[in-house]
Amino acid sequence: MKLVIVDYGMGNVKSVMSAVRYLGYDDVSLSNEQSVLKQADKLILPGVGNYARAMSRINELDLTKTLRELVLQDKKPILGVCLGMQLMGESSTEGGFNKGLGLIDGVVEAFTVKELKVPHVGYNQVKPCPESRLYSNIHPEPDYYFTHSFRMLSDANIGKTTCLYGEEFVASFEVDNIAGVQFHPELSQTNGLHLIKNFIELF
Amino acid sequence: MQSRNFRLQRVGDINWLEKNYKFQKISFSLDELIVVDATRGTKDIEKFSAVVSRLVGEVFIPVAAGGGIRKIEDAELLFNSGADKVILNSPLYTNPTLATEIINRYGSQSLVASVDYKVIAGTPVVFINDGAEPLSISMADYLLYLEQLGVGEIVFNSVDKDGTGFGYDIENIEKYAKSVNMPFIIMGGAGNERHLKEGLSIDGVSAVATANLFNFIGNGLPNARNYMLEHGSNLARWE
Repeated sequence: MKLVIVDYGMGNVKSVMSAVRYLGYDDVSLSNEQSVLKQADKLILPGVGNYARAMSRINELDLTKTLRELVLQDKKPILGVCLGMQLMGESSTEGGFNKGLGLIDGVVEAFTVKELKVPHVGYNQVKPCPESRLYSNIHPEPDYYFTHSFRMLSDANIGKTTCLYGEEFVASFEVDNIAGVQFHPELSQTNGLHLIKNFIELF
Repeated sequence: MQSRNFRLQRVGDINWLEKNYKFQKISFSLDELIVVDATRGTKDIEKFSAVVSRLVGEVFIPVAAGGGIRKIEDAELLFNSGADKVILNSPLYTNPTLATEIINRYGSQSLVASVDYKVIAGTPVVFINDGAEPLSISMADYLLYLEQLGVGEIVFNSVDKDGTGFGYDIENIEKYAKSVNMPFIIMGGAGNERHLKEGLSIDGVSAVATANLFNFIGNGLPNARNYMLEHGSNLARWE
């Protein structure tokens, strides 16, 4: 099993890598080279930071087309984490309107509910969608660690798992080979390790 | 390091910790980890970063690290060593620009404000420089100042209760926990699971912290977590 973490220079990839290794998958590397991404069995798209900056980095590296081909045509499994998950959507308004990778039908906007502390930081429970693979054999309504100011909304049938923070938003999605989580599984204890393992083994 | 009223007693370094406490196992009873360099006087941030890096290697919870951050590069070094948040204490007062820089670069959620205080003549007085220097600003005004500065959370640490194991400083926690609109973490005094549960049940308290070694002995932490869950504390349930 060859796992490649897509490196576009944003975010703390150290804990993602150590989580994957901890689960016993030693063949994990960090790369933004097209040839390496193509050879991967599975991709992880991490990220912390500003959406506009992230998309411009991805475009500078000429990765949009590559990722779209690998994921949509070759059906290579991919897991987006936090900002990486948001990048997989259609667009975001963080740092002005920006188009995303367009791998999933969802848009990213700031939390709108007033009287809420933003960013949404800390552990919160999610409601896994029925027949979820990501949460397979994880106990009902598990807690995950969130830290974000923008969130994804979607009316489409994208295997949504929701989280409630003043309003319901997309905590994760899973369609065929495509998965994304708004929270940080690599910072969510056993619940997170189990989810990463599910992605590696069930996607 | 075992601390009592901020007087330190060295118990061992990271090798000692790994050997005796299997830190990674302990972390499975925690929600977050706070790592502080409590060395008095000049702190060596590079050495500390190396310790953080080693400590967080197999710990899958958010890690906040601090003690000795004096410039943005120090914070950067800690983030690159695996810290998810950094902790500031003295510079919040002496060099607020540093706090602003960290917030602008890494976001407000990445900055934890550590507030040490001692009760003097019935009033909580904020201390900086490892509990050595009192500030004249009132606690209420200081917390408000930190909120306006934009820090992401507060660690409210009673020097008087530190390491005593006699329980948290309930009186002042009740008074100040609700005064800021951000996570409020209490520290200093927890000696057993009842103290942890009692602290977490106070209105406005988001989290309870303990550094008391007695809470780490044997199955102390898993037992404490189970006790808290059984007694209705709102904690995440791990597998």
